[in-house]
Amino acid sequence: MASITVKFYAFWRAYLGLDTLSLEAADVGQVMAQVEEKFGAQLRAKLQALGIQADQEIQDYCLLLLNGHNVSRQSLRQIKLRGGDVLHIFPLAAGG
Amino acid sequence: MATDATDTEVIRFIDKFKEICVAPGGKEYPVIGLKAVRLIARESGISTREVESAALEQGVIPRRYLRNMGTIGREGQVKLLRSVVGVIGAGGLGGTIIELLARQGIGHIIIIDHDRFAEEDLNRQLMSTEGYLGEYKAMVAARRVKKINSATNAVPLVEKITKENAHELLKDAQVVVDGLDNLPSRFLVEEACRNLGIPFVHGTIAGFSGQLMTIFPEDEGLRSIYGPPGELPERGIEVGAGNPSATPTMIAAWQVQEVIKIITGIGKPLRNRLLILDAREGTAEEIKLRSEVLPKDARENAD
Repeated sequence: MASITVKFYAFWRAYLGLDTLSLEAADVGQVMAQVEEKFGAQLRAKLQALGIQADQEIQDYCLLLLNGHNVSRQSLRQIKLRGGDVLHIFPLAAGG
Repeated sequence: MATDATDTEVIRFIDKFKEICVAPGGKEYPVIGLKAVRLIARESGISTREVESAALEQGVIPRRYLRNMGTIGREGQVKLLRSVVGVIGAGGLGGTIIELLARQGIGHIIIIDHDRFAEEDLNRQLMSTEGYLGEYKAMVAARRVKKINSATNAVPLVEKITKENAHELLKDAQVVVDGLDNLPSRFLVEEACRNLGIPFVHGTIAGFSGQLMTIFPEDEGLRSIYGPPGELPERGIEVGAGNPSATPTMIAAWQVQEVIKIITGIGKPLRNRLLILDAREGTAEEIKLRSEVLPKDARENAD
């Protein structure tokens, strides 16, 4: 287990009303499981209210950067955490 | 191109029409006004851009660029007037990007957009007006550029950018700016820019937030934010969140600053740094991006 910081950005920050969160986890998969448990239902409801078909886990709508490294969503469990790691979580934005 | 004879004639004209202007700070500049620039262009059979370039080389500042002098200087302005910038998309981001590039005095702007203006665009797309509904965005944008700055040569291309045509459409550009609205097109433009050896200024928006980054050919680029192409959906939460009026301009303005910095060599481009602007929360944050996509063996076996 490692003590890490999660930072939310943009819509996630607005919807959750918080920008950082400290938690204990061994890998990125565990972090996202905790995020899902704490906020999943709430975020899905917000997305659905915007007309976005949101019926999957919240990680499927997220970009993840661990200390600035892109994290592939297919390998969350393989990425072990170290104390002091920062996981940046933001929604995918592709508008122009 | 002007011959040596017209060169001499142009220089003589510039000398004749130049005036001294005192900037608000008290500094004196030799300047030349728009009427004189037009007259010289007409008399000498060259473009207003060539007259402006010649004036700048003589140390005479076209009045329209006077407020640029304190930041980019005469030499920076000459570089901009000779530059070619490609803008892909003339919508929310692209409209403001094109407007500001023309005002800044970019010499050539290639405008690529296959779409027409719709009513839904009016809340945020700078080039759209009620009268232009149904018209091609690239054509409207090119006409607007001419109205703003007749020295800027705008080339509208009503085409959808694809893997097949990207290289051809962008080959003359020195910098390419992102005004696109989906991820796959951004990846293919990045790839084309990489092959052409030119920088790409990436930007995206959704709701009250947006982000941008400058990508040089040797940089990791979009993968360092989004992971490998194809792993993410084509569009993001903007499909539901929409884009209010000011968000595109907020990001587009930063993208234009990046273009100016790249061409003039002034300042520090946002390379390998994602800048996230969140107007709702009133925050601006930078995330330093690292090249490799996790997981890497080193990370897995480190502990």
